Amino acid sequence: MGAFNSPERPQIFSGPPLLLVFLVILVCIFGIRLWYLQIYKSDFYQGRAQENRTRQSTMFSPRGIIRDRTGVLLAENNPAYALALVREDCPDIPKTLDQISRWTGQPRDELQKAFEIGRKRVKHFDEQVIVPNIPFELVALVEAHRQDWPGLVIAVRPKRSYAHGETLAHVLGYVARANEEELNNDPDLQLGDNVGKQGVELMLERRLRGTKGLQEFEVDASGRVLSSRIVSSPVMGEDLNLSISLPLQEVATKALGDRAGSVVAMDADTGEVLALVSLPSYDPNEFVVGISHAKWKELLEDPLHPLQNRPVQSTYPPGSIFKLAVGGLGLESGTVKPSSTVFCPGSYKLGQRVFRCWNKGGHGTTDFKKSLRESCDVYYYQLGEQLGVEAISDFATRCGFGVKTGVELPHERAGNMPTPEWKLNRFGEKWQGGETLNYAIGQGYTLTTPLQVARFMAALVNEGKILRPTLLLSEEPDVLGELPMRPATRKLVLDAMVATVEEERGTARVLRRPGLRIGGKTGTAQVVKLQEKYEKKKTHEIPYKYRDHAWMASFGEKDGKRFVVVAMVEHGGHGGSDAGPVAGAVLDVLLDVRSGD
Amino acid sequence: MFDRRLIFHINWGLLTLTAILFLVGVMNLYSASTLRLASGLEIDTYFNKQLLWGGVGLCVMTALVLIDYRHLKSVSWAYFILCLVLLLGVSVAGKTIYGAKRWLDLGFFNLQPTELTKIAVLILGARLMARMEGKLGWINLGKALLVGLVPAVLVVKQPDLGSALNILLILGGMILFKGVTGSVFKVLVVVLPIMIPFGWFFLHDYQKQRIMTFLDPGNDPLGAGYHIIQSQIAIGSGGFWGKGFLEGTQSQLRFLPEKHTDFAFAVFGEEWGFFGSIILLILFCSFLYQIYIVTMEAKDDFGSYLAAGVFFYFFWQILINIGMVLGIMPVVGIPLPFISYGGSASVVNFCMVGLVLNVAMRRFVFKKG
Repeated sequence: MGAFNSPERPQIFSGPPLLLVFLVILVCIFGIRLWYLQIYKSDFYQGRAQENRTRQSTMFSPRGIIRDRTGVLLAENNPAYALALVREDCPDIPKTLDQISRWTGQPRDELQKAFEIGRKRVKHFDEQVIVPNIPFELVALVEAHRQDWPGLVIAVRPKRSYAHGETLAHVLGYVARANEEELNNDPDLQLGDNVGKQGVELMLERRLRGTKGLQEFEVDASGRVLSSRIVSSPVMGEDLNLSISLPLQEVATKALGDRAGSVVAMDADTGEVLALVSLPSYDPNEFVVGISHAKWKELLEDPLHPLQNRPVQSTYPPGSIFKLAVGGLGLESGTVKPSSTVFCPGSYKLGQRVFRCWNKGGHGTTDFKKSLRESCDVYYYQLGEQLGVEAISDFATRCGFGVKTGVELPHERAGNMPTPEWKLNRFGEKWQGGETLNYAIGQGYTLTTPLQVARFMAALVNEGKILRPTLLLSEEPDVLGELPMRPATRKLVLDAMVATVEEERGTARVLRRPGLRIGGKTGTAQVVKLQEKYEKKKTHEIPYKYRDHAWMASFGEKDGKRFVVVAMVEHGGHGGSDAGPVAGAVLDVLLDVRSGD
Repeated sequence: MFDRRLIFHINWGLLTLTAILFLVGVMNLYSASTLRLASGLEIDTYFNKQLLWGGVGLCVMTALVLIDYRHLKSVSWAYFILCLVLLLGVSVAGKTIYGAKRWLDLGFFNLQPTELTKIAVLILGARLMARMEGKLGWINLGKALLVGLVPAVLVVKQPDLGSALNILLILGGMILFKGVTGSVFKVLVVVLPIMIPFGWFFLHDYQKQRIMTFLDPGNDPLGAGYHIIQSQIAIGSGGFWGKGFLEGTQSQLRFLPEKHTDFAFAVFGEEWGFFGSIILLILFCSFLYQIYIVTMEAKDDFGSYLAAGVFFYFFWQILINIGMVLGIMPVVGIPLPFISYGGSASVVNFCMVGLVLNVAMRRFVFKKG
């Protein structure tokens, strides 16, 4: 063994000790590596192994169906086809996208963009929808070429369909593909899912949507399924019955015709909204399939704003309808008595300024009832001056003016009941005495929505309950507060409204239906302070945008059922003659008046 | 010819460890041959065949033990030249399987001369080095290297990079064991690392691809990198205790490639976990340690070099195969002794153990004349 005992170098570089060195190195390297893989990173690799052998697929749940109060289908689900990719099964994604572009005619770079954005959100082996809502001919064509394009699949997804599109666009709203933000905020949403974007579809999204289910498959390396189990079952979305009556909605829409405006019909005792019309309208079905850019631009740039949901999103001065509240406050506060009178010479002087009554000839001696029946401005100028702006605002707010109603519709606006502080903050100017006078007749800074007016009317009729208007059938009435008027006061106001319809010189005689108790109050909301040159002109001679808004607030009773109807015609001119027939047509249906009666 | 007393000098430790490793391998093959289908488990017959080959190996080993290893010296050249002829025969009339010409069709059996060559190189190398005085200078080093290089070139042309590498590494190990002179050592330390990049140009494209993939498996996860990634997933997902026998999902659902041959250790690691893997590692080390003892106790240099050659024969395979399975070496088709399935390889493994046993049991026998 002399060969190993050379003194030239330490022993470990040759001979048996060298073997031991090798052995020690082997143990160290593999020991450390095994520890790293099987202990330190074991969770990671267990996850990967699990991922390898399981594929999950989503079980879609149908969205709840929406019906009207009698069960007519308003929103339902139809099957729709979409082109989708399973990345893991697709050997050449760019080429496949090229082919999709050729088939659908969609620009290649748009598809690429959709694919890039979407891929992060799609689980492994799950379908990524690339082009939704493809026509049936394309489904057949793609189906015929399936073998040539592995990874390309036709996905079937429910598609929302609105049978009465334009008529109910502002009530139902619509669903459309969830955008980036919605996907980020809601982990339940998957790419290509539709979510409520407007109307009831948006506000009741949670109830309508349902819960997706999850199915899990165990697969081998070639993707063959060995077993499957349902991790969670899909839960259907809740079907909803709206309080809306489709026939009534159609009548109200037709009555408004080609004019812009709102109609609200409500059950005064339950707060159920029976009709809610906003015109002009749009077709929600176009949004479901993805609205074209041109069409979207057209809707946005339309001067009549078809996307605006007027009954809750547009605020207007209430005009003379406000006199119902101011008059009520007058009685409640004892400032006026029902029998006390004011002499109307056709105008009212405050300091140097002259405030005119709409009736230049004057109403002469005017008591409470006459003041409402003939809508005498001078009576309310004087009453307003006596009450003061703060008292009016406080009272009107308690009547629900300038307060959101809480109906199941998005982006509701509150309106405004002005006060001197408000004006100082808003404009940096002092409140002028004359502004109180204008305020008392519902002009100026005061802003309200048609639905607020309807709620106020309902409270007058239903013994003073301020309700939350609702679009859902058979919900318990939601009483938000009490109208700050005693029964006696309410009765005087209601009687005056009936007189406005029934009696000579009443401004709402257009609503008169013999044998029925109907009350009404007209209103004319000034858009701008009319310039002299338009003052003597008839409505149709004034440019559209300067014309006044026409209001009609009404109620009707039959067989113990009490309804309120509010019609508002934008730039319609006069309440009685323009908004009146619209409200009348709706009341006819509600009170079952046969034409010709 | 056979002295009965020799039986008492058999290295029982080495024999026992060999038996345990072989049985662990068969058991693991049983699991590696199992496929889970929707209809249930289906078992391939690899483990049966392995048992059969083990039996053949055992016979050859027994035969080898009976002959005094010193007689091998006299046949070493003849055997070596026979192997070279067979290798040449393969390159002329070999049978092509999977694009590689490695087999000679003998009618009843496909012979793989490469396996025989490993033994030939080992014996001839041991014989030459035993005769050389002191540490290897340039001339002796050259002679020793030629013994490996000639067959390695023939093998690499088949192409069988793994075996060529194995032959060179066995010889390299033996040369290190023998030791080189100071000047040679210094030059080699500087020159060898510089040579490695040049080796790149002698590689086939698929071999370059394997090395590139090893350096970055992620760039081709479904192609060449698939083996490396799936193997590490299998090992890592075993955790500490493993998933249990026949419970490995990576192997049973066929995510793990080559699971009964090159990646058999991954099957083991997945089902027996860190605990089992470490025990297997200890078994291998004890096995190698037994061979190390023999290199120390051998009666003559030839026996010592033979045992050292066998040591390196197993050592490099274990290092490269497990290293590959654990993702710290490139994918080279080198099996894990006793654990991977392979007929010729099993027989050669037993032969190698036989050589060592032979040397060990004759450590006290004195040269007669």
